[in-house]
Amino acid sequence: MTGQEGSEYDRLFYPFLFAGGNASAEEVLAQVRHSTREKCRTVVALRRQTLEQYGDIMVAAATAMASAIRSGATLFAFGNGGSTTDAQDLVVDLMNPPLPDCRPVPALALTNDIAVVTAVANDVGFDNVFSRQLIAFAHPGDIAVGISTSGNSNNVLVAFEQAKKQGLLTVGLAGYDGGKMAHSRTVDFCITAPSADVPRIQEAQATAYHALLEAIFTLLRAEHTILTKEQHP
Amino acid sequence: MRATTTTETDLQALMQARFDRTIAVAEAFFAREDERIAQACWAMARRFHRGGRLLACGNGGCATDAQHVAVEFVHPVIVGKRALPALALTNDSALISALSTGGSSGVAFARQFSVLAAPQDIAMGFSPDGHCPNVLEALWVAGSKGLLTLALVGADGGPMATAGFDFCFVVPDTDPFVVQETHETLYHVLWELVHVFFEHEGLLT
Repeated sequence: MTGQEGSEYDRLFYPFLFAGGNASAEEVLAQVRHSTREKCRTVVALRRQTLEQYGDIMVAAATAMASAIRSGATLFAFGNGGSTTDAQDLVVDLMNPPLPDCRPVPALALTNDIAVVTAVANDVGFDNVFSRQLIAFAHPGDIAVGISTSGNSNNVLVAFEQAKKQGLLTVGLAGYDGGKMAHSRTVDFCITAPSADVPRIQEAQATAYHALLEAIFTLLRAEHTILTKEQHP
Repeated sequence: MRATTTTETDLQALMQARFDRTIAVAEAFFAREDERIAQACWAMARRFHRGGRLLACGNGGCATDAQHVAVEFVHPVIVGKRALPALALTNDSALISALSTGGSSGVAFARQFSVLAAPQDIAMGFSPDGHCPNVLEALWVAGSKGLLTLALVGADGGPMATAGFDFCFVVPDTDPFVVQETHETLYHVLWELVHVFFEHEGLLT
């Protein structure tokens, strides 16, 4: 790569690539070390900004989610690509909580069954792969969590529309400016990691949903304690 | 009963503490490990240059990390980055359950390295505390076949920290969420910066 080729991103993050000439191993390693530290600084700042801007919404979302779970909700999680793995991670953390003294919560990732995903995508369209499963599985009072770094993934937005029709609580995790998700009336709580850097968005979103989980488990534990005391005065 | 009531202020404090903890751990980790991260990127780039593939594994939440790092390499979100071969060994529920019948779940990853892996490949194993016997066994099999071995672990690293893998990155925290979030930045950085070495062909042989 030479001269003026490459994206703005590349020029921003890898300026030495456009300097021309052959860099030595030491020079390239030094640049990679520098980039590593820069990326850490970026995600640290983004995490701080996400909590500052969306802390109140996260508290409200966790409270609503814990309340729905106490009433018997199942949580459905979905997203594309890396966001799929975050959806699956959220489900694992609910079904098999890694924190002490947490009761398992019923949850299902809508990306696991490749037979269903490919069947719907092939027969109807990729926009419907999550909404179709909500039609099959979801009940009023359940929870839908959709993850999209752009906030504009069509299949996630379509699933939120379907979820609202069926009376679900809807929670979105987005990046950039929140995209369509931030303005959709079908999303009750939208938590946005305000950045255009996709890896950093995902890393900040991971902290956000982990914080949501800890808050939810704390609320469920408190309620459990209250019930126990009332039953055994 | 009042003592068990969780208030909005409690939840705000809990979230602040969680964000503060993950930020402090990440800052210390990347300040300390930048040199080894750069070396790992270079080693991985050389493997890819020889036709190697990344094969990743882990249990539970770590399985999703294996799948996440794989999709980053295969379908780079940054336009212009080349697609590189990467596979999570956690995807095929039919195969995993086949290898886990009779309670022998420990072989599910090791067997895949044994059958599927080539010497020029890269093995990446995740564990929140370094105590996952099936991941340890898998990386040991991989290393004995000549693969580059990377372990991403947490807490004190457990037996995986002393197993002699090429790279073992230990995030020294006992909170599994904090460990995972730091791992996520780590494998994103490894993926982003492996590509830097492709711009310097002379360093790949």
